[in-house]
Amino acid sequence: MDSEQTALLQGTLDMMILKSLDAAEMHGLGISRRIEQITHGTFQVKPGSLFPALHRMEEQGWLASFWGESENNRRARYYRLTKAGRRQLERETDRWGKISLAIARALKAEG
Amino acid sequence: MRAISRFISFSRNLLRKRQRDDELDAEVRGYVDMLADEKMRDGMEPEDARRAARIELGGIEQVKEQVREARAGAWLDSLLQDLRYGLRMLRKNPGFTLIAVLTLALGIGANAAIFTLTYAVILKSLPVPNPQQLVRYTFRNGDQDIGLSGPLYDSLRKHEAAVQDALAWSASDLAIKDNGVSTGGDADAVSNVQGALVSGNTFRVLQLQPFLGQTFSDSDDVAGGGVNGYQAVLGYSYWREHFQANREVLGKSLNVNGKSATIIGVLPAGFDGLISGRRADVVLPLAFEEVVNAPHPARNLPGALWLTVMARLKPGESLQSAEANLKATEAAVRKEADPTNTYLGGFFKGFRIGVESGRSGRSFLKMLYSRPLIALEVLVALLLLLCCANTALLILARVSSRVREFAVRSALGAPRRRLFRQLLIEIGLLAICGLAGGIVLGWAGAKSLVAMLTSIGQPPALNIKPQLTILAFTAAISVFSALAAGLWPAFRASRTSPLLGLKDGGTSTQSKGVGAWILPAQVAVSVILLAAASLLGSSLLHLLLTHSGFRAEGLTMVDVDLSAMKLDAIASTRYAQQLADSLVHAPGIEAAAAISVPPIHDWWSAGHYFSVGQNGAVHSDMTLWDEIVTPGYFPAVDTPILEGRAFAPADATGDRVCILSAAAASYFFPKESAVGRFVYSGGADQNADGKSKVDPNDTYRVIGVAADAHFRSLREPPPRMMYQLARHDEMQSQFFLVVRGSSSNVVSGAVREAARRVVPGAAPPVVYTFDRLVASHLTRERMLTALSACFATIALLLTVMGLYGLLARSVVLRTKEIGLRLALGANPRDALRLILRQALRLVLIGTIIGTIAALVAVRLLKTLLFGISATNPAIFAAVVLLLFAVALAASCIPAWRAAHIDPMTAVRYE
Repeated sequence: MDSEQTALLQGTLDMMILKSLDAAEMHGLGISRRIEQITHGTFQVKPGSLFPALHRMEEQGWLASFWGESENNRRARYYRLTKAGRRQLERETDRWGKISLAIARALKAEG
Repeated sequence: MRAISRFISFSRNLLRKRQRDDELDAEVRGYVDMLADEKMRDGMEPEDARRAARIELGGIEQVKEQVREARAGAWLDSLLQDLRYGLRMLRKNPGFTLIAVLTLALGIGANAAIFTLTYAVILKSLPVPNPQQLVRYTFRNGDQDIGLSGPLYDSLRKHEAAVQDALAWSASDLAIKDNGVSTGGDADAVSNVQGALVSGNTFRVLQLQPFLGQTFSDSDDVAGGGVNGYQAVLGYSYWREHFQANREVLGKSLNVNGKSATIIGVLPAGFDGLISGRRADVVLPLAFEEVVNAPHPARNLPGALWLTVMARLKPGESLQSAEANLKATEAAVRKEADPTNTYLGGFFKGFRIGVESGRSGRSFLKMLYSRPLIALEVLVALLLLLCCANTALLILARVSSRVREFAVRSALGAPRRRLFRQLLIEIGLLAICGLAGGIVLGWAGAKSLVAMLTSIGQPPALNIKPQLTILAFTAAISVFSALAAGLWPAFRASRTSPLLGLKDGGTSTQSKGVGAWILPAQVAVSVILLAAASLLGSSLLHLLLTHSGFRAEGLTMVDVDLSAMKLDAIASTRYAQQLADSLVHAPGIEAAAAISVPPIHDWWSAGHYFSVGQNGAVHSDMTLWDEIVTPGYFPAVDTPILEGRAFAPADATGDRVCILSAAAASYFFPKESAVGRFVYSGGADQNADGKSKVDPNDTYRVIGVAADAHFRSLREPPPRMMYQLARHDEMQSQFFLVVRGSSSNVVSGAVREAARRVVPGAAPPVVYTFDRLVASHLTRERMLTALSACFATIALLLTVMGLYGLLARSVVLRTKEIGLRLALGANPRDALRLILRQALRLVLIGTIIGTIAALVAVRLLKTLLFGISATNPAIFAAVVLLLFAVALAASCIPAWRAAHIDPMTAVRYE
């Protein structure tokens, strides 16, 4: 039960990151703020989860990173989606669509 | 695609580690700065903003560590780190490392050595295709497993339907004269070689292809060797050693026992023959036996049991079906091989034909050592357990003194499994060092054991090589030991709570609970090993102290083999008498005699004799040991004459006389004096009245009664014996000398000199002292005693170390408690008692469990013990007493320390 939940959350985090980078390239803090924003604060991503996820996804080839300047002229690591990342986002969106639909139906049937 | 990208990252992570780390650091710090900027924008003071950002991040190092762990190859990276750390920890504690490695090396090495032997003696298969299809036909009575006769072999070959074809093999010493080819000069030099005589189908049945040339066919196994004369095949190592691996050897002729044989092939490397310990250096057809045993070939004698018979099962048949087939045909086979049933039903009464697996050929070592090796495997496994327990205690002690370190590491974010792995790595390093030490110890041990097994004047009894199977076994046991010793301590330590470890001064009481069951287990194992060693030692002592019937001091044995001289029995007998005579007159020699069958060689001699008592009662013995001797026999061996007199030279002519052993005398003439009475050879039934018409050549007048002697074996009661004088043709070309002289050097010099003069054409005689013979005879017992004593000593030492360590630590841990008690008015003697009681409780539990376990375990030794019962109460009492005494000694120092704790210091320590 416990481990299933973690898996679900991990998958969710990956999708959130991919989604938030869909529009524009961003640095770490930007990504976590963007996730908060698009989920209306439901998800608050801690750096302890964010950074490992970013590095893992980069190694998987979904993200690419480069050094850039932040709004306050600070050096920051920026991430953007690669082609593979975009495909992954489509797959995830598709999967999540199916899952949430199925869950919604299941819950309705029970009610 | 993804795998490639992961792999690239993996290599990059490894190769550009420093750069990646710097970048990660910059990235995380940048994040904190930006977070702080954000908070300042919301109106926070710069200092507060910075702190809040740090807190929100949750520690730069932790985040970095989490990223590193998410990266590809992180495991390898941290593994190397743990490995380096582990090596450093082991180097930092050389005492601990040395003891742990030595303990493991001892346990692993002992197991490797015994397993090498077990593998070579019991498990190894013949190097032929599908050895599991081979079966061996046996003729055995309990432990006695003798060969089959020629007629039995022929009959089995005809009747057994479950096997394709049966082969016959006989090990035979051959006298080789190769015209100087192998000696490189001396054309007349004769060398004694281990050979084999084999049926013509042997290599076909074995499916053994020659390394060079060809092997025999059925047409080679006929009288005279067929159209081309006798053919010979050489063993691979013999060919290399004596013919320098020369391929030109094919077609050359070899002089074997005075007959010429043509070399037609060389056997493949690794094939040493079917009888382990008897290398087949030169192989000739079975028909050559007519030359070896001339002029009395044994090939068709129903009473000569000298053949090893093996066969290959037909496809679809099994050992069980071969057994069933044999059961159905055994009566017919016996009848055909010995129509009068004189031998199979008479001399060899009680022997049955059987069939068993022939996978590893025939091995006398296997017969003799199967049970000892199984017992040794059990003992040595127990020893390994003990070594593991000790190592576990050591590691536990090490770990509990590192509690603070673990607490700090886990407070700094090291996950539990990382600590667990760290410990496992350290234990793994110990195990690898232990394995290396174990392999060295094991190999040395195995080699010295083989040397011990090798009998007088023989090449190594076993051919052991470092082998993958053995290496794999050794590696497996070291992995087992590492896990057994390390898993529990590592698991316990990895659960160290950071709070507990940091608060407490770096000590912990957690190991106490584990010691509570490890120590009694150690004591229990020690009891078993000590009991086994004491029983085996007492048994050996019993055998050594048994009066053999011979006076060992000054007695020397000589093996003489005149077969190279191609003599008949008359000539052999004459040479035997001459050798004995010339020795008697040599300086420094007190007495000497030739004998037909050597004592204490596990040999056997049997004849059929009967006597008629004064009341007319007939006493018949079909298995009377009839020993042929020359007149000097009794002075030479110093077996006392109880009644009558010993042989005189004049007895060799005129009426036949004999001397009976005490057992034979009381069997043939119960409640009467044997001296002056008669014993007749042959069956009593043909001469029922006994007095009439007996051939004088079959009549022996008893002139004396000698004390009983353990002629066959020290492990068995003395046989009933009848000594006769060599008169005319009683000796074979192989006989033996017993010589009593001032020193063994003098004797061996005199023997060589006499042999050179009397029998110059024979192979040099083998000379050895009687003590050496007894030692060699008792090799099995000596080996068992030496090994079990060695195991028991190690066990005792380890247990003492374990107990001492446990108590010493317990005193340290309980310093406060004891100090408090003393401060509150307790007597120092109470403190002493406290520690001693703890020790004795542990030992008591251990001895009770150990004694019960030992009483069950010694069953394995039952058949290996002589003159002592496996459950001898005195032995068990002594073992328990010894353990308590040793435990008491080990507890003295810790107990003394406990009694001398200064209450003030101890309490202030709080």
